Amino acid sequence: MRASKLILPSIRFRYRLTYLIAALTVLGAGCMFVGFNPLGFFTEFHYVRDLLGEMLMPEFSQVFSNPTVWGSVLQTLSMAFLGTLFGCLAALVLAFCAASNVMPVKWVRISIRALLAITRATPGLVMILIFVIAVGLGAFAGILSLIFITVGTFGKLFAEIIELSDYAPGEAIYSVGAKRVQVIWFAVLPQTLPSFIANMLYAFDINLRTAISLGIFGGGGIGLQLNMAIKVLRYKDATALICLVIVLVVLFEKISDYFRKRILHSVSLH
Amino acid sequence: MTINGFSLKRYRRTVLPLGLLLLVTVLACLDCGVSISQLWEGMVKGFSFLAYMFPPDWSAFGEMLQPVLESIVIAVLGTSFGTFLSLIFAVFAASNLTHPWIRQITRFLIGFERSIPEIIILLILVAAFGLGAMPAIIALTLGCIGMLGKLLADTIEEIDSVMLDSMTSVGANKLQVVFYGILPQILPNLVTYALFRLEINIRLSVILGAVGAGGIGYELEYAFNMLNYHRAMTAFLLILLMVLGTEQVSNLVKKRIKGREVLL
Repeated sequence: MRASKLILPSIRFRYRLTYLIAALTVLGAGCMFVGFNPLGFFTEFHYVRDLLGEMLMPEFSQVFSNPTVWGSVLQTLSMAFLGTLFGCLAALVLAFCAASNVMPVKWVRISIRALLAITRATPGLVMILIFVIAVGLGAFAGILSLIFITVGTFGKLFAEIIELSDYAPGEAIYSVGAKRVQVIWFAVLPQTLPSFIANMLYAFDINLRTAISLGIFGGGGIGLQLNMAIKVLRYKDATALICLVIVLVVLFEKISDYFRKRILHSVSLH
Repeated sequence: MTINGFSLKRYRRTVLPLGLLLLVTVLACLDCGVSISQLWEGMVKGFSFLAYMFPPDWSAFGEMLQPVLESIVIAVLGTSFGTFLSLIFAVFAASNLTHPWIRQITRFLIGFERSIPEIIILLILVAAFGLGAMPAIIALTLGCIGMLGKLLADTIEEIDSVMLDSMTSVGANKLQVVFYGILPQILPNLVTYALFRLEINIRLSVILGAVGAGGIGYELEYAFNMLNYHRAMTAFLLILLMVLGTEQVSNLVKKRIKGREVLL
């Protein structure tokens, strides 16, 4: 054995070192490009401390005595609900048109899949900006963009659920003379409905957060209130609203978790 | 089935929830002041506006390439820092590595972080640090910790305890257990989750850009505010390209990882 092999680190170590250095170089170049100094987080941390000093303690009385806050909470919830409901229904219809075991026409399938892919890739920001201009500021624009966001997120998923369903029951009733619609209604839908509903509950979770974010861009609801509170520098009110948002998100996450478990459990008993 | 054969008992499980759903829908519609016909109208209006935005302004294409790159870099940096930090959080949140008390506290922190939408974190950070890439990167990093921290902690908890015991029995300390026992095992999961998060972060970086982080999101919002819709269309197309491109790249990497059993 040559002496160099004993002295020098192993090949594997050198490979890893090369990867590490390459990764660090890329990260460093990225930081330089956007003008981000990681150490700045520590040297400028006093700004965060100052802000936290301004934000604490939250002024709950100011916010909760104001009826518009509760109105906007209700509005955010309705936005999320309507967006989820209509979005999931539209996604369901499109998913049946995109699933290969249900839709026999190939070009319809492909075009619907392309449509779903484009909707999925479009960020919510684009949707809300378009709808705010098309229908004006407010909850309505938020609902419309939520519908599209939901279709984008869940359309492909629903199509995959339909494609993964067992084809034996459908074939069985098809062989005794059921029409295509009857096959969908009596064989495909009963199999897939529980996971559709579970996904709808999950969609509500996501849409509640999205509804809050959309509010900041003019979608109405609690996001709008929060953005205004920060814009007029009423940080104590903003903290109270953030607490409210956290409570809302956690509460509805727990509720939808409970129902999701119940639905998936009740099915497995059959 | 005839009307005589109809029994409420059989349909109780479907009729009751559907009725409730209808009631809530009507109430929600009233609350937002929306009707079904209006919904359809609104969609038609949205699409006709989208058609109005055509054709895209190709002359703006060149000057928008740099903002696109900025958005991608912000997303990549946020994901990298976030993945690294979430690994540390995950180690402290795994029941087979730490004291139950520390685990509870870390889990609480991760859960707390996850329940705040990223955009609100960014609004606060912008108020603290001012506009620029820094608040966006920190917001994405925090978002990353909230998601990956939990996923990775769950992955670590699933590791066979026999292996960790055998390492400690021959004298490995905690750090060595993490480095040589846990890290190689969770690395494939780590990369998959990080790529998944990168796809989310790319989308988020567009949205965060509009709040004040710069990048293509800012360009888009600026074009909308200036009523320069053809320019906005260019930005929109570039965003689509960016998101679909990252999706393809991450799918490619995920496939390669699946092919190899052990990464290191």
